[in-house]
Amino acid sequence: MNAETVIAYRPPTDRTAWLGKDPIPAKAYHDPAYFELERQAIFMRTWLQIGHICELPDPGSFIRRDLEFADASILIVRGKDGAIRAFHNVCTHRGTQLTGESEGRASGFICPYHMWNFGLDGQLRSAPDFENFFTAKEDCALRQVAVDTCGGLLFVNLDKNPKQSLHAFLGEYLVDQLEQTPCARATQFSEYTYELDANWKLDYDNFQESYHLKFIHSRSGAASFTAENPFGYPEDYGFYGPHRTQTFWPGYDPDAATPLQAFVMGKASQFAIEKGLMPHPTNRQYYALFPNFFLFGSPTQHFSHTVYPLSARRSRGVIRLYWVGEPQSASEVMAREYAFVVARDIHAEDVNVIRAGQRGLNSGALEHIHFQAMEGLCRHLYVQSNEMVEQYKREQAARELEA
Amino acid sequence: MSSTETLPSAFNALEPFVDMWAAATCSARDERRGVSTAEERCAFFDAAAPLLEPALAYLDAKPLAELDTSDKRLLNLMLSLGHVQMAVEVHRGVEPQHAAARAAMTITRSVTDLV
Repeated sequence: MNAETVIAYRPPTDRTAWLGKDPIPAKAYHDPAYFELERQAIFMRTWLQIGHICELPDPGSFIRRDLEFADASILIVRGKDGAIRAFHNVCTHRGTQLTGESEGRASGFICPYHMWNFGLDGQLRSAPDFENFFTAKEDCALRQVAVDTCGGLLFVNLDKNPKQSLHAFLGEYLVDQLEQTPCARATQFSEYTYELDANWKLDYDNFQESYHLKFIHSRSGAASFTAENPFGYPEDYGFYGPHRTQTFWPGYDPDAATPLQAFVMGKASQFAIEKGLMPHPTNRQYYALFPNFFLFGSPTQHFSHTVYPLSARRSRGVIRLYWVGEPQSASEVMAREYAFVVARDIHAEDVNVIRAGQRGLNSGALEHIHFQAMEGLCRHLYVQSNEMVEQYKREQAARELEA
Repeated sequence: MSSTETLPSAFNALEPFVDMWAAATCSARDERRGVSTAEERCAFFDAAAPLLEPALAYLDAKPLAELDTSDKRLLNLMLSLGHVQMAVEVHRGVEPQHAAARAAMTITRSVTDLV
């Protein structure tokens, strides 16, 4: 390692001390009854990241997103007025799903069953033989879902009356940070998805801690491990309500890259510099937005990861690498594909240990699991989730008392 | 260009690798990496890695939209080289196990598929 890359490092263990030292109940990571509480307390009534505005470039652009935990299919649509609206993909006649297309452009949505015709604003425009119905067209609009944007990201909330706006939920600091990220002005993205037999928190936690890097990514992550910071731990942590951030350590071992890697990554850096994306204040930042999304500011392109719960012991992940503008040259195409290959390759190294973790927990052998000071973000996710579960239980108990 | 040459002439040393590695999409390039043998990956890497820099310099001389069929074939080879590099230089002996885990990650959108 070159002498100039050695920077004094102090792990930010003091930043996670407020979260306590208690072991964490293992059932929160495998128990179906606990998952059902999380589903109701969190996922059915929290703002959830679901897409990006670059997917809705024009009036009539729409995307469909299926949220298995809610048995819901959501259409997110840009209207003729430019406004983004979200609707349940459910005909108000007899419930038929309007479209199976995952994305596209439309002038409206026509139910395939009896040809009920809805506008981009969700209003029922026409329906054959409607005179014989016993209801009014005004009462037959598509059921709307709360939708909002921040930093180019689309969020929905399945609560019919969300308790707070998206911006109030994220808070001033994170809204300001997210609006600054290159993701906010991304025009396209590459994506890969997966389904794993793993609880959503167990899966997500793998990407919140650096403790495993040295063991699971010993070769692919070699540049992150230096004499000063042998685990490649982050420089700092931050906590903002239910959300959290980390700042990655800038020290790296320049000798860890092979000549080909150094050449292609050099190209990637050159394009990022030309676009004003590097250096950038969000380059080393990791923004974990409660409950299941994070955006990581890797220097040449920002990438996101959303973990959707499917059941107590299964989850679906969506990973996106966001790009500003279309590639202009062969080298830029090469840099983008290589970044994608590297991200997916590193991620694939995690798959087997995440699965093994779930299998171990499913046995019920452990009453508790343990998080160290440098796994504080994982602890924070559990603490926040559990607080919402407890709040939900209190609300249910109060409701039962009233009844 | 003769009928047997499918690449820009300066890169005809890579002709033996075109059928296997000049795949048109990121998913197809990933698939080729997955079905290839270690010998096939090493032979391609050894031949193509020294030509990456000159190939990109040659291709960058034209706007992306003006690349012809043989240029695109060369670029697709270089994109495959990126996949193969991870296997040959990073994962090495554990590439077969890695391939099995990688199969769990479905590529659903790529911005680098030349049309």
